Amino acid sequence: MVSKTKRVLLVFGLWGSWNLPQLGLSAQLSHQDVEFFEKKIRPVLVDHCYLCHSSSSPQVQGGLLLDSRDGLLKGGKSGPALVPEEPDQSLLIKALRYTEKDLKMPPSGKLPAETIADFELWVEKGAPDPRKPVAVASLPQKPNYDFAEERKFWSYRLPCQSSLPKTKTRCWSKNWIDAFVLEKLEEKNLSPGTPADKRTLIRRATFDLTGLPPTPQEIESFLQDASPNAFDKVIDRLLASPRYGERWGRFWLDLVRYADTAGDSADYPVPQAYLYRNYVIDSFNQDKPFDQFVREQVAGDLLPSQSEAQRWQQIMATGYLAIARRFSVVPEEYKHLTIDDTLDNLGRSILGLSVSCARCHDHKYDPIPTADYYALYGIFDSTRYPFAGSENIQQQKDFVLRMSPAEAEKILKPYSDQLVPLDAELKRLKEEKKALEKGTPETEGADAAVPGKRTLKEVKAEIEALKQRRLPIAAQMPILEAAYAVADEDPHNARIQRRGDPKNLGDEVPRRFLQVLGGQDLLPAEKGSGRLELAEWLTAPENPLTARVLVNRVWQHHFGKGLVSTPSDFGKRGSPPTHSELLDALAVRFIQSGCSIKAMHKLIMMSQTYQLSSDGDPGNLPRDPGNDFLWKFNRQRLDAEAIRDSLLMISGQLDLSQTGPHPFPHASTWSFTQHNPFTAVYDTNRRSVYLMTQRFQRHPYLSIFDGADPNTSTPLRSSTITPIQALFMMNSPFVHEQADRLAGRLIATQSESQKRIDMAYQLVLGRLPSTEELHRSQAYLQQTEEKLKSIEVPAESRQQKAWASYAGVLLSSNEFIFVE
Amino acid sequence: MDSLDCGCSRRQAIRSLVGGSLLLPGIIADLLAAEQASDAADPLAPRPPHFPAKAKRIIFCYMTGGASHVDSFDYKPKLFEDHGKTLKNGKFLSQPKWKFRPHGQSGTEVSELFPELAECVDDLCIIRSMKTDHGDHFEATLGIHTGSVTFTRPSLGSWVSYGLGTMNQNLPSFVVLAPELPYAGGQVWASDFLPACHQGTRIVPGAEPIPNMKPHSASPEIQQMELGLLEFFNRKHLEQHDSDPALAARIKSFETAFGMQQEAPEAFDLSKESDATLNLYGLERSSTQGFAWQCLVARRLAERGVRFIELIDTGSSSGHNWDAHADMQTHLPLAQNVDRPLAGLLKDLKSRGMLADTLVVWTTEFGRTPFTEKLNAKGREHHPKAYSSWLAGGGVKGGITYGTSDDYGIEVAENLVHVHDFHATILHLLGLDHKRLTFRHAGRDFRLTDVHGNVVEAILA
Repeated sequence: MVSKTKRVLLVFGLWGSWNLPQLGLSAQLSHQDVEFFEKKIRPVLVDHCYLCHSSSSPQVQGGLLLDSRDGLLKGGKSGPALVPEEPDQSLLIKALRYTEKDLKMPPSGKLPAETIADFELWVEKGAPDPRKPVAVASLPQKPNYDFAEERKFWSYRLPCQSSLPKTKTRCWSKNWIDAFVLEKLEEKNLSPGTPADKRTLIRRATFDLTGLPPTPQEIESFLQDASPNAFDKVIDRLLASPRYGERWGRFWLDLVRYADTAGDSADYPVPQAYLYRNYVIDSFNQDKPFDQFVREQVAGDLLPSQSEAQRWQQIMATGYLAIARRFSVVPEEYKHLTIDDTLDNLGRSILGLSVSCARCHDHKYDPIPTADYYALYGIFDSTRYPFAGSENIQQQKDFVLRMSPAEAEKILKPYSDQLVPLDAELKRLKEEKKALEKGTPETEGADAAVPGKRTLKEVKAEIEALKQRRLPIAAQMPILEAAYAVADEDPHNARIQRRGDPKNLGDEVPRRFLQVLGGQDLLPAEKGSGRLELAEWLTAPENPLTARVLVNRVWQHHFGKGLVSTPSDFGKRGSPPTHSELLDALAVRFIQSGCSIKAMHKLIMMSQTYQLSSDGDPGNLPRDPGNDFLWKFNRQRLDAEAIRDSLLMISGQLDLSQTGPHPFPHASTWSFTQHNPFTAVYDTNRRSVYLMTQRFQRHPYLSIFDGADPNTSTPLRSSTITPIQALFMMNSPFVHEQADRLAGRLIATQSESQKRIDMAYQLVLGRLPSTEELHRSQAYLQQTEEKLKSIEVPAESRQQKAWASYAGVLLSSNEFIFVE
Repeated sequence: MDSLDCGCSRRQAIRSLVGGSLLLPGIIADLLAAEQASDAADPLAPRPPHFPAKAKRIIFCYMTGGASHVDSFDYKPKLFEDHGKTLKNGKFLSQPKWKFRPHGQSGTEVSELFPELAECVDDLCIIRSMKTDHGDHFEATLGIHTGSVTFTRPSLGSWVSYGLGTMNQNLPSFVVLAPELPYAGGQVWASDFLPACHQGTRIVPGAEPIPNMKPHSASPEIQQMELGLLEFFNRKHLEQHDSDPALAARIKSFETAFGMQQEAPEAFDLSKESDATLNLYGLERSSTQGFAWQCLVARRLAERGVRFIELIDTGSSSGHNWDAHADMQTHLPLAQNVDRPLAGLLKDLKSRGMLADTLVVWTTEFGRTPFTEKLNAKGREHHPKAYSSWLAGGGVKGGITYGTSDDYGIEVAENLVHVHDFHATILHLLGLDHKRLTFRHAGRDFRLTDVHGNVVEAILA
């Protein structure tokens, strides 16, 4: 195998050398000049300067480019770097000499004297430079993309419906999706797979749409149903189940990095965040058209509404923006990072573009100039984000109240009337304390009495006493219904932040959409932030990305892998689609169907491609080891939520109610700091989507099985297999409790051991045991009871223990953990 | 052709071929298939380094809260002399609270805060020109662990696990011994976008260090019977399905877990250590707490092939770490907690011949200000602009100092070592080129040092 690689590399190595630029022995330069440059100058520039000062630098520092003579002559912010024949006047030489106070290069340390002497000599000789002129990159705010040319890239073209491909294989396809798949299989000479059996199919579909196993009754009724639309009916039933939104809403929550805490250094809890979580789940259950779903999340507060309930729903939807990450001890001072997190997430989740790469420099691969980034930035800089609390200000601010400000004022007035004077007094005392601390040298002892003045100790005591008086009043303040949501404020354009530094401002950029996607502007008369318009631009039918990205995600969650394998990157660094015509046809159909995700599920699930067995022709393996061309279904490990929820369901413990707020401590008690951040794990038997999720601390269970990273968008879960997971199955109290409960169920329901084994198989694996499995199981149970007897386990608990041991094994089996 | 030695860069080489050409698609597909299969089967299998290296494993000791450089390893005589003088910023110079004197053959000055480590100074390479990008705990803690002060990135330990795999499948490749949560919590050892098997396994000193390690079955025999039945079910299942490496990998994971159950308790069982050894670390017999326990367990894990062992001394709770705003004297008990154990660890590794191929690192998130707001204030504030760390063992020159800060320890004067350089050097010592240790995520290749980092060649032995 290695020899093959070497051979391939060798071929490329040769190509590489052919492509090496010919050493430019131009007429003006002598051979010695070129040699001097190549030996003494270029290597130093490459090693010490190019990282920050070349056209390939990730961010060019000081606007200075040293990868061409033109760049040296033109110079950067401080002026020309090179004055030929005048080393003493050349900034380049001054910087190398390390004599100027603010101009010392390279920053890692002064170069050897010998090297500096070489540069002096080189400049003295007129800086002969054989390098080809490099187009001197324009400043970040002047994009040098040819957008007309860029829009020819596959993902920026509008999806178009191509005619159904002609295929040779007969009687394989069930719907038009299959024609596109089959065409590729034939083209690649791969043999198409065979259909999965009905049992496999219902288990697959049920986990797929609800994240839970089918019940034995559901399996039985599907097996008995010989009608041609039997599977149709199963899909419809599953799509109508409230369990569907809990499964597919979770995928959206992964993408938008949902958490119940803010992410500042103290990780303040956000008790209202769950409203957005429930909104997402409900929206999936209602099959809310996806374009509307996006519009509500970006601008729900600005959309018209028919009722108060709808208005409130739409405000909760903007929780999508509100849950953007907060940073540091003083999150209020890092709004630029919160906006960056917003743009990063919006770009990846909805458009499949890495927009935030353009924060510090024009995007290196995709046609997103920095100006575009700040055009969008202005929209969110004109948006008020709620404040969840932080180390310094330990209370919520700017949440959106359900009632009007006037009503709220009326309710709160009696309390604020009491609190305002107390707070004023508290502020005064704190200032007095500060003054005392400053004025007293610590070494003299802080409590030394100064005549006429109160001591620090006295002031501290008074502050404590005042806090004690304040607390009961604050604790009685009614908690008004509020959402972690955004609102418009002070509409304005943003200025470019050079190199992403909010203190280094460049030109103002008008708020508008990405140029490669049309660059639509706000109307001159627009008085809002621009979110409403952005919501329209994102979901307009002429936007080529939104529908494509979404249908690819739906495909991915069904098959384990998208047609585009980089689901949040449809740019040049992403992977192109394996089936571009199919992807386009799905996107077109999706838009035609009114952006119904449920219709998309049904379409996909009714294809032969979806209904294939996960064991295909092994002969295909060498030609398509990753099953990119779908000659079989991909076997998938259950994700963290599905494992936990299924274990609870099988043991009979699953609580199917939706939750309200988490049992967070009362807001009046909050005093979290970076030193003592908020941290908690709340146990529940509800579905895992309802577990309290913290930004900085992954839930101990979810982290074992690759749960979503609550810090950043998770477009695709990994499915690792680790010994820590095995230890969880073998030894965790959780698994043992479920095994024990399942054993109790088996014993209580059936009296014969064979019937109990049958029931266990049906509940856990959705089938009956083979004769061999039955015998092995019976023998196991018998041996275990004997073993328990030998270690003197009392007779009355032996049966329960033996069955629990057996149930634990079934729950740990590969057949349970993998979906075929 | 060095790059072919490492699975990861080899895969990239293959990938870049696919990107560039339609040449020989069959061969390329074969190569990729083989790579993927072996990865899926065992992402933790040992991998050769990019180039031969002396250090085979690393013990990374992290002091929480910001340990003062001018009171420990960066001797500033002028700071003693000019105590109380005013700086341009209106602040007052504040003399070190502990005396310094030269130690060992190298004559390197160490303060009285670390009397035992001072005895080992000829093995230490002290860097006195460290610099980080942020002055808050949370960010700087992420910085020293992941290279990024703002965004969530994989930890140094995860990168090393990803780059080198592990020598002992019965133990995790990256172990973190931490009694409390540090600033930024579990992000400090998170694998982020790297496969989850490379995340640090946090071990809390105490009776059950690894979660779910204690067999839950009624008896050991019954657990073996359970695993036997599971194996039977899983083998039957495997026979009915094509040779999916994931199915086989999961069967193996139970074997490994069983192995861990056997081996890990032994690794954590210090009862067979001699009195002399315990005494070396300053550990009382049968204690399972304290930094001495962490250091001795670290040696035992190192012996058993764990690749990356991180020791965190305390947590983010104020008043219990090096964050000495109020009074520098709070450094004393913290130093006493780690001084003898660290010296013991170095001596123990040396006497067992392990120091030559074990890299020991001591660091913190930032230093502390050599000046104070008020004259004669007892504490010091956060100081990211200059601080000290040290390395010892595998591949590092002992008995040297590298880099200097200015007369007062305020700015780096010479040979700046940014956190990125520190990381690049650590990876280099383990045989990994920080520019080649990359992972493709969200459309680009990420690395620990982002686009920065230079290996500090001068300290390499």
